[in-house]
Amino acid sequence: MNFTNLQLQTESLPKIEDVALKPISKSYFKIIRLNKLAIYAGLIGFVFLFKYFIQEKEEVEINIWYLLSVILVFCVLNFIVSILAFKKRKYAIRAHDVIYAKGLIIHSMITVPISRIQHVEESRSWLARHLELSTLKIFTAGEAGSDLSIKGLPHLEAKQIKEIISDKVNGNN
Amino acid sequence: METTDFSQPIRQSSKGIIVIFAFKVFQFFKKFFVLFIAFGLSLMRRKSFANITPTMMLLGLVGVIIIILVIAILKYLNFKFHLSKDDFHLSTGIINKDTTIIPKSKIQNVYIKQNFLQQIINVVSLKIETAGDKKSEIEISALDKPTALLLKKKLFNKAITKNETTETVEELDKRDVFFKITPKRLLLEGLSQNHFKSFLLIMTFVFGLYNEFKDYVRELGLRKHIDDFVKLDEDTALNLLITNALIILTVILFSLLYSVVKTFIINFNLEVVEHQKTVEINKGLFNKVSLSLTPSRIQNLVVKTNRVKQYFGLHSLSVKQAMVNAKQQKNFNIVALEKEQLNYLLNKLLVNYNENEGDVSKPRPYFMRISTLEMLLFGTIINALSLFLFGIGMLWINAVYIPFAALYVYFAYKKAYYRISDNFITIGSGVIDTTTNILETHKIQGIKVKQTIFQKRRDIASVVISTASKSVTIPYVSKSEALSICNFLLYKVESQDRDWM
Repeated sequence: MNFTNLQLQTESLPKIEDVALKPISKSYFKIIRLNKLAIYAGLIGFVFLFKYFIQEKEEVEINIWYLLSVILVFCVLNFIVSILAFKKRKYAIRAHDVIYAKGLIIHSMITVPISRIQHVEESRSWLARHLELSTLKIFTAGEAGSDLSIKGLPHLEAKQIKEIISDKVNGNN
Repeated sequence: METTDFSQPIRQSSKGIIVIFAFKVFQFFKKFFVLFIAFGLSLMRRKSFANITPTMMLLGLVGVIIIILVIAILKYLNFKFHLSKDDFHLSTGIINKDTTIIPKSKIQNVYIKQNFLQQIINVVSLKIETAGDKKSEIEISALDKPTALLLKKKLFNKAITKNETTETVEELDKRDVFFKITPKRLLLEGLSQNHFKSFLLIMTFVFGLYNEFKDYVRELGLRKHIDDFVKLDEDTALNLLITNALIILTVILFSLLYSVVKTFIINFNLEVVEHQKTVEINKGLFNKVSLSLTPSRIQNLVVKTNRVKQYFGLHSLSVKQAMVNAKQQKNFNIVALEKEQLNYLLNKLLVNYNENEGDVSKPRPYFMRISTLEMLLFGTIINALSLFLFGIGMLWINAVYIPFAALYVYFAYKKAYYRISDNFITIGSGVIDTTTNILETHKIQGIKVKQTIFQKRRDIASVVISTASKSVTIPYVSKSEALSICNFLLYKVESQDRDWM
């Protein structure tokens, strides 16, 4: 059998592109927003700190505003990208694998067969606990690239998925 | 040969004291190397440092060495191991007593190693690797060879008989030396290596050395000598050119020598021994290692060769196994194989691998665009650097660089291909080297389809396939192709109930 032959066959194979991927919980965007704001505040704070320390030199005065505007533009762009990228974060569970898609500039869709999963972990940060969200981490034996971490799942759903996967993983062994 | 009884707690060979001592001393000096240099330099200048005379320093040093010796002896006395029915027991520690118990069935690999010192005093060290993290590794640093081999056999026997029938036990004894390297081939291997790496290494080394000892050199007045020397040559441009050519030639010669020596040291007496189930590799000059490969744990195979090597029939095969730490991973490398030997070994390690199975497909021409962009970026950096460092005259470098870049792009695309058959994925890549990655479909751990925002318009995507030891990429195929590869591989993994290890 060779690949051209298989291509005919692939028509009948279950298609990954047909899977209806589910977006993650909307409220996770709040966490992203808060995180981003903290980072931006830190960056801008740094600029002012920088200014404070080398205030003596006169020509620096103008440069600071340049620097600040550059950073502001960067922040705004970054924020827009993160809004758009948020919509790309999607996941799906099939009978035999877990799919997670993310990324705007570099879009990637990772698929991990359930039979290859070593263990599943559900973790919740302080903020996520307040918003009833949790992160589902799926570990394989593979390179770091094949480990999944699905952020911003509704807590109950994450728990359910975790149960399903661990049942399957243990059932297989 | 007296057989050692492993059922009682025993110590390693008493020569172990020497090994532990040497290792500790080496470690000590490595840690405080910089300090020693600083002390030494200041002592040389002022004869004393903070009221410490050289004699006191020497006394201190002797004291430290005696302390290390005492520690080594205590360590030796407290290092005991024995075998019970199913487990390997080890107790260590002078003040903090540690007892480690490893079930034989959990042992992943047993290596026998021999470094230079161990070769002199004729002992070997035995390393036991388990599936856990790096900390769970155990090393017995001094055993005489028969004992080590016996222990290795005992450790392995139990593990094997657990899973399979007892007949494997006797087959372990059957040694069939399949491949033994000759010095001539080793020399060819060393000569035909990709010298760019060693060239760069030596360049950086020389640069670093120069920067480190800049002041020192200046102090010695060498600087003046060099200046005089250069001035002398500046009379004619031709002379300068010759000097430059000479320098480059020397560096090339050095990198050649470096490659050859390195190949010799690492692969000295390389020997591939075939057992019924496993393949054993023995090699090394100063550090003798003996490793065994288990086909079920192999995740990726990488075959490397290049134009020159192909001409001499030299192929190197590196085997990536799961659960092997990065340092050890480097040793699973067999160099200078003939084409037939390579194919035989591939067939031994991969069941039913057929080189010509499946159709060869190539990445989209987009691949060339990306390579060109990469080269352009690299070229800009080189130009900027040379302009900055040497001035406008250095722009002639483009005359060399542009054809080089063009060739790079051409060969990179020419050598890139992928082939997916029923059980195997073969991916070819490389520019100077020709690299072939082979993996079995049922060992896949995860698949990623990657697409940047720029590739979306052109409908191009890449597929990254991860196994337990490595990720390989099928670069820049059309999106539909990427998805169909993904679908097919997922189907393969999920429909067969085969273990990846």
